[in-house]
Amino acid sequence: MYSFEFARPGSIDEAVKALKAEEAQALGGGQTLIPTLKQRLAAPSVLVSLSGIAEMQGVCVSDDNALCVGGATPHAVVAKEAAKSFPALAGMASRIGDPAVRNRGTVGGSLANNDPSACYPAAALGTGATIKTNAREIAADDYFQGMFATALDEGEIITEVRFPIPEKANYQKFVQPASRFALVGVFVAKYASGVRVAVTGASEDGVFRWTEAEEALSKDFSAKAVEGLKVSADGMISDLHGPAAYRAHLVGVLTGRAVNAAA
Amino acid sequence: MSLSISLTVNGDRCDVDLDDPRVTLLDLLRERMALPGTKKGCDRGQCGACTVLVNGRRINSCLTLAVTLNGAEVTTIEGLAAGEDLHPVQTAFIEHDGFQCGYCTPGQIMSAVGLIAEGQAGDDAERIREGMSGNLCRCSAYHGITEAVQDAARRMASADERKSA
Amino acid sequence: MTVAKPLPHDAARLHVTGGARYVDDLPTPPGTLHLAFGLSAKARAKVTLGLEAVRASAGVALVLGPGDLDPMPDCSPSAHDEPLLAMGEAFYAGHPLFLVAAESHLLARKAAAKAEIGYEELDAILTIEDAIAADSRFEDGPRVYEKGDVMAAISRAPHLVEGRVLVGGQEHFYLEGQSALAIPTEDGGMVVHSSSQHPTEIQHKVADALGRAMHDVKVEVRRMGGGFGGKESQGNHLAIACAVVAARTGRPVKMRYDRDDDFVVTGKRHDFRIDYRAGFDGEGRCLGVDFVQYCRCGWSMDLSLPVADRAMLHADNAYLLPAARITSHRLKTNTQSATAFRGFGGPQGMVGIERVMDHAAHVLGLDPLEVRRANYYREAPVAASEASGGSISGKMKGQPLPTADLAGRGSVKVETGSGKATRYGGAHSRVPATAENATPYGMEVTDFILHEMTETLARDCEFEARKAAVAEWNAANPVLKRGIALTPVKFGISFTLTHLNQAGALVHVYQDGSVSMNHGGTEMGQGLFQKVAQVAASRFGLPMERVRITATDTAKVPNTSATAASSGSDLNGMAVKAACDAIRDRIAEVVAAELQAEPAAIVFEDGQVRAGEASMSWEEAIAKTYMARVSLSATGFYATPGIEWDRIAGRGRPFYYFAYGAACSEVVIDTLTGENRILRTDILHDCGASLNPAIDIGQIEGGFVQGAGWLTTEELVWDGAGRLRTHAPSTYKIPACSDRPGVFNVALWDGANREETIYRSKAVGEPPLMLGISVWSALAQACAACGPNWPDLQTPATAEAVLAAVGRARG
Repeated sequence: MYSFEFARPGSIDEAVKALKAEEAQALGGGQTLIPTLKQRLAAPSVLVSLSGIAEMQGVCVSDDNALCVGGATPHAVVAKEAAKSFPALAGMASRIGDPAVRNRGTVGGSLANNDPSACYPAAALGTGATIKTNAREIAADDYFQGMFATALDEGEIITEVRFPIPEKANYQKFVQPASRFALVGVFVAKYASGVRVAVTGASEDGVFRWTEAEEALSKDFSAKAVEGLKVSADGMISDLHGPAAYRAHLVGVLTGRAVNAAA
Repeated sequence: MSLSISLTVNGDRCDVDLDDPRVTLLDLLRERMALPGTKKGCDRGQCGACTVLVNGRRINSCLTLAVTLNGAEVTTIEGLAAGEDLHPVQTAFIEHDGFQCGYCTPGQIMSAVGLIAEGQAGDDAERIREGMSGNLCRCSAYHGITEAVQDAARRMASADERKSA
Repeated sequence: MTVAKPLPHDAARLHVTGGARYVDDLPTPPGTLHLAFGLSAKARAKVTLGLEAVRASAGVALVLGPGDLDPMPDCSPSAHDEPLLAMGEAFYAGHPLFLVAAESHLLARKAAAKAEIGYEELDAILTIEDAIAADSRFEDGPRVYEKGDVMAAISRAPHLVEGRVLVGGQEHFYLEGQSALAIPTEDGGMVVHSSSQHPTEIQHKVADALGRAMHDVKVEVRRMGGGFGGKESQGNHLAIACAVVAARTGRPVKMRYDRDDDFVVTGKRHDFRIDYRAGFDGEGRCLGVDFVQYCRCGWSMDLSLPVADRAMLHADNAYLLPAARITSHRLKTNTQSATAFRGFGGPQGMVGIERVMDHAAHVLGLDPLEVRRANYYREAPVAASEASGGSISGKMKGQPLPTADLAGRGSVKVETGSGKATRYGGAHSRVPATAENATPYGMEVTDFILHEMTETLARDCEFEARKAAVAEWNAANPVLKRGIALTPVKFGISFTLTHLNQAGALVHVYQDGSVSMNHGGTEMGQGLFQKVAQVAASRFGLPMERVRITATDTAKVPNTSATAASSGSDLNGMAVKAACDAIRDRIAEVVAAELQAEPAAIVFEDGQVRAGEASMSWEEAIAKTYMARVSLSATGFYATPGIEWDRIAGRGRPFYYFAYGAACSEVVIDTLTGENRILRTDILHDCGASLNPAIDIGQIEGGFVQGAGWLTTEELVWDGAGRLRTHAPSTYKIPACSDRPGVFNVALWDGANREETIYRSKAVGEPPLMLGISVWSALAQACAACGPNWPDLQTPATAEAVLAAVGRARG
């Protein structure tokens, strides 16, 4: 790790101020950032811990039926608190990493990092979530901009994420067994306005919406409707855990499973 | 730059001056507080050997910067027994052969204590196995580990009942 | 009696309270330096080092490049071909190039990263195919062991089975990484704490490196956090580096590898390619098999020759092969130097023949288990009193084993059934190598018990009914397919390097009657210390708490062999027994008159020293012996009898005996994704008369899971430049708690070792690993259920590999 300074703000305003320093970086639960720092892949001069900001913690359901999760809320809390109101999201949160990771890792950290194999991006894009920051609100469709790239500006903090609660939804993850990240993960959500399908783990461009499947499922919400559909292997990730063709194949299988399991 | 924090470790209040903000809780325990019971397995949060409880919840101490723990309560394997009386999870690990080489054992036990406190798994073997899956044991003493956690969960539940009765 | 009891590990309480110390936990003396290696990023290159920035880095005390060491210390356990630092040319990506000593571990690593390393890349030989093409190998040519006329047997056979199986390597992933601490003492001496399975080797190599005699170096090993073979030779580099820097600076020096470095620097299990051609008759009997084993050894010899030998020695597994030829190529590549790993080549050899059995069953349309049984070695006849012929069902913990009479008086008097069985060596007559029940290397199999074990296991796990249920399931379910397989293990026990089969022990009885015990074996979780202490307590008739187990120490017991080859309890148990018995005899001489008995009639039990009705307490007997000025300290020594082996000719009796086991696993695969899981595993394993059933069952469970992991999820991936890409737990998947079978039954076979081992027990460290083959075989069955073709499932059977095999089955 390179040397850095450390700030522990107690409010969003303080955090924003602290992040104005050159090369400052926000620290959520640290479950990705700290290993990265240990590998010297990142070299911030100031780390700004968001874990002490009370207004960024917690889970609730809004009047317009969205699940609102504070940006610094750990996965384990979401898994527990959302179990009744949004079981598909809670189920997804309960299968991130392992229990110790879920006790520290946060929704804001996951979305800000936008790892191409992380689970939360699929949930956010699959529900058309709104990412609320200290400065503005960003629609999920505008937020994800490729592997590890997002619409966030320098020093901008995710304070809350609002996930519209669907009629039915499910997240299916094919785990890369060593890291427990998604080799492929598919989030399917059915709304009155139509169906959304978001895929993580698979594409070199990070999380994406599978629009063919969305169209088919919006007409007929059944596994049969997506049976014949195939995702092209072009642009899929090929690495030591699986080639592009395998990932493309899994997208189809998992989408069918998610539809079958949707509740 | 010096950062001072104050935290409780195994019931003792400690004021710590950190000359370097990069010190992880694991290194703080092992190298500065003479508590080597918590093990360094991978130092990347992937093996679970460094599991400790922070405010009652299990975490990987290698992925937690000590500076983030001002005011926290930390429990390590050294702080689990009450003097000579072992914690029920410790006793169960001995009785059910929940280890071989012992290197992952402190992490396994702290994770088990955390799991039981979470109250999600009860004594269901399948859920215990899932709940303990972040703690690797290369000797694969998983059978004994699962039995030990099951047994300890039952004993602690019945002790709680007796207390509340 | 304290033997045959399911007592917990010796340090159980320390382990659960965090009090058990490993090398990295030892308090370091003030002024300790910490080491880090700078590693080669290239698989093969001429290297130039710019170390100025390293030397100038904060906290650096000393930087050593290859030019700074003359002579260059050697780290090899065999061929003196591993200089501590690469001398101008790097031979693998991860090769240590230079050494940094700094005030802290972090500072040493930071400094090492500042080196300016110039590489002039050379052609690297990375794969088995590369090495074959370049004829890059150890030894002049392949080793060949042969029995009968293989070509004739195969050409005459009605059915030919031919194929290739790729057997993957395996990372040890001991949870405790490699570590060492060297402390200089007065007069040029050195004390080394090492996480090593082989303290004598460390002592020897450190002494050589320092130019000192072995008596100047003392190595201590209290325990390891897992070894699995990975600490047999791979700890040499750290210990030598620490000692060299300690000698130069006069300061204590510590080194431990970070996990990624441990993956990248150290050797792993050898991966193999095995080509096979076999002839079968219509009933599934093998008439002849021709194996060609290609073994990737890495850049240096290390232990590759005996590993490859053992792969050849297990190419038969449990099967009597009328004709066989095993050709073994030991290939030299620019990768980590592959090393010992639980089974030591045996598992790879065994995978080859088990694959042949499955393949033959598929070709012939026969049940794989029937094919296996048709080829088993013949049951060796024994006296009726010896084998009770049954399993002890369920978990044995808490119950003593009803086996032989183990009462601890006199020498062990267990009747053996040697009357009808044929034996080699010792008092027994030698049988010609062409005998009817002989291995391809000419060793008569005289203790074969797998017929009965297989029948018992198949019955207890309801194999036939479940096989039918699996077939029914597969007929009804298009997506999820099941498979079930029962596979045997026959594993040879002894170091194949015959002279290593020796051990020493040192036992002291103090004036208060307490016992301190030391032997050459090391504790890495296998429960050796407890088992051997049980032997000592049994010999003296004392409760366990009267025996203190002390750290392995080259100053106490010299010239020890590695704790390896499953031999720990066999060798050290016997050595401790010899030492205890020597002391017992002396005590008996002293107290005989008072007890009015012959010394030979005196027994030691329940804390008493007795002769008929007369007795005195152990403590009283000890006091009397001391007052009589008779020594209460003794060494013990043991050498395994009856073994002889010519590894070049491939002839002799390399093993004292065989350990047996059988496992039945049922699996399910998802034919859409290749995902798979183990539904149930039943194991029946032979530990002879178990010294400690709880510890033995733990070894069996752990070995099985590790073996199943090796053949399913544990995939090592090197990229085209020879860099290991799976170098952390985030990329290399070992079994977790949730991966073990949902139903998992382990039983011990109830029978004493036919050879005179310690209390008639059998070695248990390695054999159970190969029970994991049942999982791989069951997966192959499940794949085969998807279509008419041979699925040709390779290892490791990852989800992707299973999906590919399903595709091949479907055609």
